[in-house]
Amino acid sequence: MRLRICHLYPDLLNLYGDRGNVLIIRRRAAWRGVEVELDQISLQDRVRFTDYDLVFLGGGADQDQGLVSRDMERKGPLLVEAAEEGVVILSICGGFQLLGRYYRAQDGGVLPGVGLFDVYTEAGRRRLKGNILIETEADLREEMERCSPGALSTLVGFENHSGRTFLGDGARPLGRVLKGNGNNGEDRAEGARYKNAFGTYLHGPFLSKNPHFADLLIARALARRHGEVSLAPLDDSLEWHAHRVVKERLQKGCRRPL
Amino acid sequence: MPFIFGKGFTAGLRFLLAFWAARLTALACRLFGYPGTSLPGVVALRLYPGVVGFLASSYERVLAVTGTNGKTTTANLLAHFLRGAGLRVAHNAEGANMLPGVAAALIRDCDRLGRPRSRVAVLEVDEGSVGMVFPAAKPGIVVVTNYFRDQLDRYWELERTTGLLRSTLDGLPAAALILNADDPLVAAVGRGRAEVRYYGVNREEGNCGAGDCAAKTADGTNGSGSVVAGETREGRYCTSCGTELVYRYFHYGQLGDYFCPGCGFRRPDPDLAASCVEEGEHLDFTVRVLQRGSERASIRQESGAGTPGGSGNLTGGAVMRFTAPLRGFYNVYNILAAAAAASALGVSLDAVRRSLLGYKPATGRMEQFTLGGRPCTLALIKNPAGVNQVLKTILATGTAKSLVLAINDLAADGRDVSWLWDADFAGLADGQVKKIVCAGLRAADMAVCLKYAGVPPERLLLAPGRAESLRALAEQEGEELFVLATYTNLFDYAGLLRRMGKGGGRSAPQDLPSLS
Repeated sequence: MRLRICHLYPDLLNLYGDRGNVLIIRRRAAWRGVEVELDQISLQDRVRFTDYDLVFLGGGADQDQGLVSRDMERKGPLLVEAAEEGVVILSICGGFQLLGRYYRAQDGGVLPGVGLFDVYTEAGRRRLKGNILIETEADLREEMERCSPGALSTLVGFENHSGRTFLGDGARPLGRVLKGNGNNGEDRAEGARYKNAFGTYLHGPFLSKNPHFADLLIARALARRHGEVSLAPLDDSLEWHAHRVVKERLQKGCRRPL
Repeated sequence: MPFIFGKGFTAGLRFLLAFWAARLTALACRLFGYPGTSLPGVVALRLYPGVVGFLASSYERVLAVTGTNGKTTTANLLAHFLRGAGLRVAHNAEGANMLPGVAAALIRDCDRLGRPRSRVAVLEVDEGSVGMVFPAAKPGIVVVTNYFRDQLDRYWELERTTGLLRSTLDGLPAAALILNADDPLVAAVGRGRAEVRYYGVNREEGNCGAGDCAAKTADGTNGSGSVVAGETREGRYCTSCGTELVYRYFHYGQLGDYFCPGCGFRRPDPDLAASCVEEGEHLDFTVRVLQRGSERASIRQESGAGTPGGSGNLTGGAVMRFTAPLRGFYNVYNILAAAAAASALGVSLDAVRRSLLGYKPATGRMEQFTLGGRPCTLALIKNPAGVNQVLKTILATGTAKSLVLAINDLAADGRDVSWLWDADFAGLADGQVKKIVCAGLRAADMAVCLKYAGVPPERLLLAPGRAESLRALAEQEGEELFVLATYTNLFDYAGLLRRMGKGGGRSAPQDLPSLS
């Protein structure tokens, strides 16, 4: 079996250790004996997203995000086409915003998005940052339980964004915020999804503490060409420990457990 | 008291009030066993917000050191060089580098009447605080080390930090700048400035007479400019025209010899250049001084773009070999920066060279201790570029070793530990590393990161507490031991190691926070 990964704009959307997620997916696939192919695609590169099983895009600095936004005028429709065909897409923070309908800046200027998710983002003044804990939606929860039995129903991570993202009728969230801000700090929604495409504000290497979600992505990515697959269980005790440390700290509201 | 009331009666009174309140706070800190490197400054600033400007104006020379990595070592080296030349120096040596820390250091330098005792101030300034400290302290000389991604949750993106420095320096047009030529993000700050000196490391092949120096200075790129797997480079695009920079070679990160094909921006010829760097227990390298003025201009002409290594043109410039009791290639930059700043105050390069031999590293900058009869080195880690350099240095010896990696996520460490994944820990999968003890509030995050970097899980140990982690480390195999810790862990580990190692370390008095 082979997993073909496209890391989109690794040279521009690379803030906060986002690339850790690609490493995690590669390793977890390889530990199951799945061969991994990784292509790095950036500005000017020609690409057919439907050739891939999984596309990843992270967050970037403002200046770089502008460059990406212009390049996406061409690549965007291809990415939407891939999403319609069921390619797994994981987008984080700035990448997530780019896949929405638009981004309205502080000065009122509107940066059009790809429109893959029925969401829009408005610039906010205060930055929403800190550790975050979310409860995943019921269907995801069940699917994660199937992928990795005994999996927790929560996701933990760190968020750091000034954009406020709001979901339209055509988008579902990833989950509900238990601690932290999520999409906008108001409606408790976190992330968005459409078919096999996901967007989230849990930035950086968030899959490191959420092995169940990593496996859900791998299972869905393989399923498109190989049919339903069952992933061999891994020893995730370290990952779960890291998950619980953050979760318990957030639930206790305690910053110094030592 | 002409000094105090020479600046106006009200200002003088407010200063005295703030001064005595700060002194009492320092005393209270000492009584309760706190280092008190910042709190007296907080109190003073509350009572008299202009206290830093008030005091700084009394110094003949104010020098500031800022940047991402190497600030503490550069500022400490600079203070050491100046003291070696007989100058009395006020200095925030404890790394308290925001406005309150600067205020506390200047107050500490005062006599009982509130008069500064030194004539020179060396201020280490947090790169996020230059907008507060520089307008107040008005440094006449500003040293900039480098810019790497660091604590993104505090500073946001790098472009913001470098933009802040540029706009702050616009308010200090007369300040002389001492800039790292090899970092395009730093060198760009020198454009349009009246007085700038650059320092840098030249890679000269077959020119050293001391063996294959090129291989020793290389970090694995070996001059071809190929990108090291896993290393994140900042500043890939020209800050003025946005074209991708072209490199002749990299030293590490984005430091190297670059030029912009779009607008002609290029690495400036360093006024002070190191070459032929030999690493080991000590650093050895050659330092050359480039003559300024017309001679400099002619060298530029002859060497043309992309060949700054033409040493044959440097007649008239001093050339000497430096030996430093420091480890790590990155310290060559810190030494050059401090030497350039010291020479701007009239200290000769030869005096710097001699003074360097007696330098003791600051707390946790590759500081040496003994643990269980074995050498144990304590190093600060705080961002990916720093981690990569520290790891490269400790792995270069090839001897069997075990280490503690202590990661906290308190405000001074950065709340977000995502940065761990931008560092290159793959080297720790090497067989010379026997055990890695993961410690701190984010011990588990560290362990997971190492697992995915390829370290076999059986070589990982979780021991979150500091004393617990050191006890665990003392039981591990290896000829050498290391403790790599983020900021809020550092001083406690230094204290523990001093006690457990029974003074086996070079715990010089300057490492201890002084209060009065």
